[in-house]
Amino acid sequence: MLELSDLHRRYGKIVALDGVSFDVRPGRVVGFLGPNGAGKTTAMRCVFGLVRPDSGEVRWNGSKVGPRDHLRFGYMPEERGLYPKMKIREQLVYFGRLSGMEPSIASSAADRWLGRLGLADRALSKLEDLSHGNQQRVQLAVSLVHDPELAVLDEPFAGLDPIGVEDMAATLRELADSGVGIVFSSHQLDLVQDVCQDVVIIDHGRVVLAGGLAELRDRSDYRHLEITVDGNPWTPDLPGIEAVGDNGQRYLIRAGGDVEEVLRRAKQDGTVTSFSFEPPNLSDLFRQAVRR
Amino acid sequence: MSPLKQVLLIAQRDFIQRIRSRAFLISMLIVVGIVAVGGPILAAQGTVSKPYEIGVTGTVPDGFQQAVEATAKGFDRTVEITSYASTADGEAALEKDDIKVLLVDSSQLVWKQDPSYQLSAIVTSAVQGLDRSATIAQLGLSQEQAAQLLSPEPLASRSLTAPDPSEAPKQIASYVGSILLYISILMFGQFVMIGVMEEKQSRVVEVVLSRTRPRYLLAGKVLGIGLLGVIQLVIIGGAALFTLSRANAVNVDLAGIGARVAFTVLAWYLLGYALFAVVYAALGATISRQEDAQGVAFIPIMVILPGFFLSIYALEEPNALLPHLGSIIPPFSPFVMPTRMVVTNVPTWEVALSVVLIVLATYWVLRLGARIYQGSILRIGAKVKLRDALKAGGEQ
Repeated sequence: MLELSDLHRRYGKIVALDGVSFDVRPGRVVGFLGPNGAGKTTAMRCVFGLVRPDSGEVRWNGSKVGPRDHLRFGYMPEERGLYPKMKIREQLVYFGRLSGMEPSIASSAADRWLGRLGLADRALSKLEDLSHGNQQRVQLAVSLVHDPELAVLDEPFAGLDPIGVEDMAATLRELADSGVGIVFSSHQLDLVQDVCQDVVIIDHGRVVLAGGLAELRDRSDYRHLEITVDGNPWTPDLPGIEAVGDNGQRYLIRAGGDVEEVLRRAKQDGTVTSFSFEPPNLSDLFRQAVRR
Repeated sequence: MSPLKQVLLIAQRDFIQRIRSRAFLISMLIVVGIVAVGGPILAAQGTVSKPYEIGVTGTVPDGFQQAVEATAKGFDRTVEITSYASTADGEAALEKDDIKVLLVDSSQLVWKQDPSYQLSAIVTSAVQGLDRSATIAQLGLSQEQAAQLLSPEPLASRSLTAPDPSEAPKQIASYVGSILLYISILMFGQFVMIGVMEEKQSRVVEVVLSRTRPRYLLAGKVLGIGLLGVIQLVIIGGAALFTLSRANAVNVDLAGIGARVAFTVLAWYLLGYALFAVVYAALGATISRQEDAQGVAFIPIMVILPGFFLSIYALEEPNALLPHLGSIIPPFSPFVMPTRMVVTNVPTWEVALSVVLIVLATYWVLRLGARIYQGSILRIGAKVKLRDALKAGGEQ
C-alpha cells in the first residue's frame, strides 16, 4: 500500500502541497482530482522523489519510500516524452532494464506489450515515426513494462480519442484486477466515475474530499431529482428543494427528505414521464468540494 | 538494480545511440581529415631529404657531376643529374616537375617559377669552382699551390647544445596532438550538453528520473559519450601511428614520438574531458531549447580556448612562465601539460601536482555541476538561472 502522509511543499511564496495525505491500496483504482494548479503533479512527483517534500513522507508497505521502491512503481508524467530517435522495442527494453529487469525478461516483456498494443509490426520503428495515438500507447507501455506493483499516471486520458480512452480504461481495470494499485489524475470526471473505486480531491494543496466513490456519494447530504411531467421539465414548488444548474431541470433535495411527497405532487400535475432520484455524481461532488 | 548497473546501462544507451548517428560519423570524418593533413607534414619533417634533380643541356664542364655532388654534400643534400638534348627538352622536363632546375651551357639557370636559393648556390658554386680550377691550370701553378687555392680548410663549427633531430617532429606531433585534444574535449563536451538538453526537450527525462537518480543519469551520460571520444582518439591515433611507422626517417624514431604523443593526448583527454563534460552537462541541464544552446556553449570555450593557445605557446617556449603555470593549473593543464610533456622534460613532481590539482578540480566541479543539474533538470521551458539551479539543487 502506498501512503502519502502530510506532505508539505512550497515553491517560494507558492504553497503547492499543504498537508496532503491519502492511500492507494493494492487492486484499487484511485482517481486523483483537483483544479489546475491544485498540487496533483507535485504530489505525484513526490512519490518518485522527483520533488522532495519540505515535510511529511511517502511510505510503501509501511516504510519510507527509497530509490529501490521507485523501481517497483510505474510513472506516466503529465508531460509525455520518450527518446524520439530510438526504436520503440529498444526503448521498452531499455526502460525495463533500467527498472532492474534482466535483459531476456525485459525483451519478452517488451514483445508482450508491443503485441498487446497492436504495435508488434512497428517494433523497429523510431518513436518519432509513429502517430500521436501510438506514441501515447508506447508511453503507457514504458510506464508498465516492468510489471510495477503501483502505477502513478498523470492525466493518462488526456489527448486520447474515444477508442484510446476505452483501451486505456480497460488496461487500468485489468491492471487493478491483477492486484496493482493505481492512482491517476484526470479532468474527465465521467470517466473517473466509471473507472475508479476511490477518489481523492485536492484543492490549494489540501485534500478536500477522499474515500470510496460509492460511499462518498451515499454519504452526501443531498440527492438529485429530475422530473418531467407530460414530457416537460417539472418544477417542484416545495420547501427545502433548490435548483441546480441554469436550465431549471435538476433539483437538490436533502437526503432523507420526503421524495414520496414530491412524486405525489408531480402526479397531480399530469402524467410523470420521467423521474430520477439519485445520489450526486462525481461532477457534483467535485464542484461542491472545490467551491470557492 | 545497483546504481553502478544503472550508470553502465545509461552509458551503454548513449554510446550505442550516438555511434550509430550520422552526426558522429561526420564529426569523426572531419577529425580524421585533420590528421590526414597533419600526418604528411609530420612525416616530411623527419624523412630523408629528396635529392635535388638538376637538368643540364648544352656544354657541361668536365667533372661537373663530382663538383656539384661535393658542394651539395656541404648542404647535407644529394643530387641527381639528367642531360637533355636541347633547351626545349629541358624546359619540358621543368614543366613536368621532373627536374628542379635546368643548367644551360654552364652559364644560365632556368627555373619553373620560384628559384631555390640553396640549389642556386650549390650549382653556381660548383660551376664557378670548375671555372676557377680551369683558370688556375692555365696559370701554371704547381699541384700543391692549386690545391691550397681550391680547397681551403673548412671552418670548424660546434653547437652549445647538441642538435636534436627529433625536435621538429616532436613539435609538429605535439601540435597535431593539441588540436586533437582541443577538438575532442570541445566536441564530446558539447555532445554531453546537447544530449542533456535533448532529454529535457523531449521530456523523457522525467520518465528516466522516476527510475534513477539525477547523478547516475549524469554519470552515465558523461561516461558513455566519453567512451565514444576514447574510441575516436584510438582510431585516429592508430591511423597516425601506422602512417608514421611506414615513414622513412633518419635518426628519428617517428613512431616512438607518435606513440608518446598518442599516449599523453589520451591520458589528458580523460582528465580534461571529465572536468569539462560535467560543466557542459550542468549547462545543458539549464536549457530546454536548441536556441538557448549557443548562449551557454560559449562559457566553457572561454576557458578552453586560452588553454589551447597556451599549449601552442608551449610548443616554442615550454618553460616560459605562462605555459609553465598553465600546465599545472586547471582548467588549462589538460591542454598545456601534454604539450610540455612531449617537447621538454617535465619533472615528475610537476606532472603529479598537475594531475592531483585537476582531479581535485573535477571533484569540486562534479559536486557543483551535479547540484546545478539536479536543480534544473526538471524545470522545462525558459533557461534556468544558475543561481536558482544551485539553490534548488541544494534542496534536492
